[in-house]
Amino acid sequence: MLELQGLRQTFNPGTVNEVRALQGVDLTLDEGSFIVVLGTNGSGKSTLLNAVAGSFFVDEGRIRLDGHDVTRWPEHRRASLIGRVFQNPFSGTAPGMSIAENFALAARRGRARGLGWALAPDLMGALRERVAGLRMGLENRLDNAIGSLSGGQRQALTLLMATWLRPRLLLLDEHTAALDPKSADQVISLSDEVIRRDGLTTLMVTHSMAQAVAYGDRIIMMHRGQVVHDFRGAEKRRLRQEDLIDRFDEIRRREQLDEGAAAMLRELYV
Amino acid sequence: MTLLLGALTLGLILSLLAMGVYVSFRIFSIPDITTDGSITLGAAVAAVLLVGGTSPIFATAAGALAGAVAGALAGVIHTRFKINSLLAGILVMTALYSVNLHVMGRSNVPLLQANSFATQGERLGQALFGAGPLHVLGWPVTPGDLAVLTLAFLAAVAAGVVLYLFFRTDVGTAMRATGDNPQMVRALGADVDRYTILGLALSNGLVALSGALLAQYQGFADAQMGIGMIVWGLASVIIGEALTGTRSLGLALAGAVLGSVLFRLLVAVALRWGLNPNDLKLITALFVFSALVLPRLLARRRGGAPAA
Repeated sequence: MLELQGLRQTFNPGTVNEVRALQGVDLTLDEGSFIVVLGTNGSGKSTLLNAVAGSFFVDEGRIRLDGHDVTRWPEHRRASLIGRVFQNPFSGTAPGMSIAENFALAARRGRARGLGWALAPDLMGALRERVAGLRMGLENRLDNAIGSLSGGQRQALTLLMATWLRPRLLLLDEHTAALDPKSADQVISLSDEVIRRDGLTTLMVTHSMAQAVAYGDRIIMMHRGQVVHDFRGAEKRRLRQEDLIDRFDEIRRREQLDEGAAAMLRELYV
Repeated sequence: MTLLLGALTLGLILSLLAMGVYVSFRIFSIPDITTDGSITLGAAVAAVLLVGGTSPIFATAAGALAGAVAGALAGVIHTRFKINSLLAGILVMTALYSVNLHVMGRSNVPLLQANSFATQGERLGQALFGAGPLHVLGWPVTPGDLAVLTLAFLAAVAAGVVLYLFFRTDVGTAMRATGDNPQMVRALGADVDRYTILGLALSNGLVALSGALLAQYQGFADAQMGIGMIVWGLASVIIGEALTGTRSLGLALAGAVLGSVLFRLLVAVALRWGLNPNDLKLITALFVFSALVLPRLLARRRGGAPAA
C-alpha cells in the first residue's frame, strides 16, 4: 500500500540550524494495517508524516502509494489518496465556514470541483446522519461556523471529514495531543472505530505510550531520523508500556555511552 | 434631487468595485492594489470599444474580461513567483498605467458622442415616461436619470446574486476556504495557488466591470480615474459590515452594496456642505484607518483592564 525507500531530508542544509530530520527511512505498510509511530521529540516522526503527505519534497528516496510513485506529486494531488488529521485542531477545518460547508469540501477531496451546488440535499442528509453518530449534538448545528466549536469537536469533525471519502491512507499526526484528556479519549476511540469499520490503512504519530500499546497492529519507534524498532504481530500484542519505556531508556543509555566513549577517545588520542 | 440621484447611481455602480474588493480583501485577506489599475483598464477598454461603435454589452464585457486577466496576472506573480501579494499588486497596477495609456491612445477618452448604456438608458427613459420631468415624492426628476439609476440598480443586484450563487458552488466554497484555511484546502485536494489566481481574477473582473460602467455613466475614461479606488472600495466594505454584520455571505455582499451607496451619499452631502473635493481621499484614508484600528483599540481597552 505505502512503500517508503531510503527517505532522507535535511532542513536548512549548510547552516547552523541544519537538521537531519530523516536519515534513510525504509518502511512498507500492508493494506489495512494500522501503524503507530513513536519517537522522542525531534526524532523525525512528524517529518515522516509530512513527507508522505507531501508538505515538502524529500531530498532523497522514493514514496509509492497505492501503486503510484507519488514522490514528486504536490500535496493537493496526493490528497486524492490521503485523508489527514493534524495535531492542531484549528488546522483541519475552515473556522469561518459552517460545519456543512466544511463537509461539502471534504466530500470532493481529490475530485474535480465544478459549478455544482456545494450543499447538495443528498450530502446534507448523509451528513446529518454521520454527525449524529458522533453523539455530540452537532447534527442540529450544521449551519454554525466551525470556529465556534471546541477543539475536541473540531478534531472529531476533521476525522470524519478526512474519512468521508474512503482514503487509501489515513495520516493522524498526534491528533489528540492538543486536547484535554476527556476529548483525547473520545477522539482516539472514534478514530479506532472508523479505522476498524472501514479497514483503513493508517499511519498514526503519537507520543502517548498508552495509545501506542492500546491501538494499532504495529509500532515503529523512531530516533534521530531512523526507524530503530519495529514491533508487529504477536510481539506488538504482548507489548506493554513498561517495555516501550525500557526501549527508550536503552536508546538513551546507548547514546550516553556513545558520548562517554567519544570523550574517552578524545582524551586518549587528541 | 439630482445630487441625490447621482450619488445613488454612482454608489450602485461602485458597489461592483466594493464587491470586488470584498472578494480580495475579506475572502482572501489580500489588499489587492491591482484594483486601482484594473478599474481604469475596464473603463479604458470599454471606452475605446464604444467609441469604435461596439455595442455597450460587448464593450462592457470586454472591459470586465481585461480586468480579470490583470487580476489573474497579479495572482500568478503572487503565487507562482512567491512575491508578496501587496508587491504583486503594486507591480501590476504600475504596469497597467502604461497599458491603459496605450489602450486609450491618450490620457482621456470622452464618450459623449458614443452609444453607451448611459445614452441607451436615457432614450429608454424618454420612451417610457416622455421628455418632461417626472415627480417622485414631489421632486422633479428627469426620466433619463431615473432609467440610468434603474439600470445601475439592476446591475448591482444581478452581480450580487450571481456572486452569492457562485460562492455556494463547489468551486466557490473551495475558494472561500482558501482564504480561511489554505492548509486544510490543500489537505482536501484543492490547489491553493489556482484558487488564489481565480479569486483575484474574479475580484478584478468585478472591479473592471465597475470601471466600464463608471466610464459610461460619467461620459469619459481617464488614465487617472483609478487612483485611490481600492481605499474607496475598502471604505464601502467596512461601512457595509457595520450595517449588516459579517455573519453570512449574503449579508456581507448586501452590505458591500449598501455600504457603497451610503458612502457615496455621505460624500455627496459632505461636498454639498462645502468640503474641499481635494480633501476627499485624505478623509477616506483616515476613515478606513480608524475603522481598521478602532475595533482593536476597543478590544484592548475592554480586555486589558483587569491585567493592569
